Amino acid sequence: MPLRMIGLSHHTAPVEVRERLAFTAPGALPRALSYLEESLRPLGAEAILLSTCNRTELYVATSSATDLSGEDLAELLVGARDEPGAPFLPHLKEKRGRYHVTEHLFRVTAGLESMVLGESDIVRQVKEAHAAANVAGLSGSILNPLFHEALRVAKRARTENDLGRGAFSVGHAAADLAETIFGSLQGRNVLLLGAGKMSETTARHLAAAGAASVLVANRTYDRAARLAEILGGRAIHYDEFPNHLIRADIVIASTAAPHAIVHRPMIEEVMRARRQRPLFLIDIAVPRDIEPAVGDIDGVYLYDIDDLQQVVAADIAERRTRAARADLLVTEEAQAFAARLRAQEQATPLVTGVRSKLHNIVDTELTRLRRRLPHLSDADWEAISLAMRSVENKFAHDPTVKIKEFAAAAAEVDSLEQAAVKMEAVRELFNLTVAAEGERSP
Amino acid sequence: MNAGFSGSAAALTLTLALYLLGAVLLGANLFLRRSGLLAAGRGAALFGVILHAAAIGLRCVEVHRAPFTNPAESLSLVAWVVVLVYLGTELLWRLSASGPFALGLSFLLVLLGAALGGDSGTGVSAASAPLLSERIVTLHILAFTTAFAAFALAFCCAALYVVENRILKSKHGLIWMKRLPPLLTVEAASFTLAAIGFPLLTLGILAGLVRAVSGGLGTAWQLDPKTLLAYAVWGVYGAYLWGRLGAKWPPLRTAYILLVGLPLCMLLLLVPSAAHRFG
Repeated sequence: MPLRMIGLSHHTAPVEVRERLAFTAPGALPRALSYLEESLRPLGAEAILLSTCNRTELYVATSSATDLSGEDLAELLVGARDEPGAPFLPHLKEKRGRYHVTEHLFRVTAGLESMVLGESDIVRQVKEAHAAANVAGLSGSILNPLFHEALRVAKRARTENDLGRGAFSVGHAAADLAETIFGSLQGRNVLLLGAGKMSETTARHLAAAGAASVLVANRTYDRAARLAEILGGRAIHYDEFPNHLIRADIVIASTAAPHAIVHRPMIEEVMRARRQRPLFLIDIAVPRDIEPAVGDIDGVYLYDIDDLQQVVAADIAERRTRAARADLLVTEEAQAFAARLRAQEQATPLVTGVRSKLHNIVDTELTRLRRRLPHLSDADWEAISLAMRSVENKFAHDPTVKIKEFAAAAAEVDSLEQAAVKMEAVRELFNLTVAAEGERSP
Repeated sequence: MNAGFSGSAAALTLTLALYLLGAVLLGANLFLRRSGLLAAGRGAALFGVILHAAAIGLRCVEVHRAPFTNPAESLSLVAWVVVLVYLGTELLWRLSASGPFALGLSFLLVLLGAALGGDSGTGVSAASAPLLSERIVTLHILAFTTAFAAFALAFCCAALYVVENRILKSKHGLIWMKRLPPLLTVEAASFTLAAIGFPLLTLGILAGLVRAVSGGLGTAWQLDPKTLLAYAVWGVYGAYLWGRLGAKWPPLRTAYILLVGLPLCMLLLLVPSAAHRFG
């Protein structure tokens, strides 16, 4: 049962190519899956289409008799998008074989192939791609376990190596820093100075982390009101903001003012009024909204856009180290899964071979017996048939169980050769001519 | 060396090993952030404190009196309460970052006690330490011991506050902030511990004063270094609480006061004193 993957990603294609082969628009994925179902049904093949903003990948499993070439797969993928294939061909990358496809899917699901290393959205996207293929009747006994395993390995790799830790964006970094100061953000008050997109994103991160209330001050009150509505907060008039600094725990400044609007004497007074409770100031405006000397005041923590970007860069560097550890884990898991898959592929025809051989023997003997004992009634023949089939099943039971045990033991890479020897012995014992299919794992 | 002494000494030796192991594991967890290290470190602290209690209990049985007549016993008791208070901070604030300090300090206190004047096992009997049979003296010692343990952990939290404040202000080494408890948590913990320690210290001083003026101790206690240091320590922590609650000093300033407090406490604990001999 050959396993194939073809697709493109941010590693192989620029955005203008990726967006043309994306299935993220409403209705695009069901249409594509319907096309794939029609094309693959005659071949008895399985398929799962994974489409995110950074990658489009088609996973296909076929029976050995109906292996598809790279050109066939490319045609299938591009056909699902109803686009001419030529522009995509130089960007498409193919993976063939149990191990290579498994390892690639495991890496993708763990976020090790993501543009933002270690991001967690991909886990949900893989889950959704699998579910959609299931609904379309495209995934089955090969791709279902593969995708279940990919999700399990991703969870393990992410948990054991803390891949989700650290900031992925400036907004995330601000929320992380706020938590290192305040602990839980439950009950903390956020004040937004300016109603720009960046402050909105940062406020969303803080709200997601539990911040209690969001006040928005902007020179244009209507814009403040609109943003406050989006964030579930309250708009205040711009000239009132100094009074609200006393209650605020976190201030995000991103106005378009050409000079600083928050000065040291103002914050010194605020700190006295707030009885030295710490104040976290995030200045993402350029030019800056908050005078740098404000950061020297005790209990005031001032971070500008450069500081936050440095936090993100440091987190990414640290995440790379952890990702290297996750890489090793993913490789080991992929080897084990591919070995298990291979053993199962060998076991299935072996079990079928043993059972059909016994079945044929019983059939032959029953026919011969019927010729020699023509006087027996139908009821007698039914009883004899039942007894013979029962003997057949009982005799086949132990070899079946043992073969499955050998296959299960082959999940350990080290046991793979041993399992293969045992299965070969079974094949010899029963004088079976069924050959093992598939490729070898590395 | 009788069998009873061997029992308490063996338990104390094992306790020392567990404290050291706990300090190393919790210290390693600060760098490596492994849940296994954290759990093992906490486990070592918990088993250590139970074994330490057993060692102190055995010691009581062996000498038939309260176990604080010599430096070895006193420091062992203080070390035990420090770990007990540390486990309390773990329960309340998940302050595993203070574990290496608390367990390391307890380890050193027990070692120091042994070096300074651990007795050889004969000890003094209840009859030769009549003061220890007085409840007010026991109260005096236990109040001081618990206050010291609370101040030790408050010191650790204040040190964490100073370090974290520096990291957040300088913006260098921010990666460490993810390994340490939140700034506000360590500040709240240091305040709570100092606020618990201060009334206990006051109680200890009052109990000592009542016992001293009730007679039998002469006037030497008035200028005894331990007595004078106790007043100084009381003044330092009183100033801290006034600054924190009344004057609303910035947290960094109050943290520095707590950093000054512990060395004074150590001096109070270790300074030789004629008026504080119970055996």
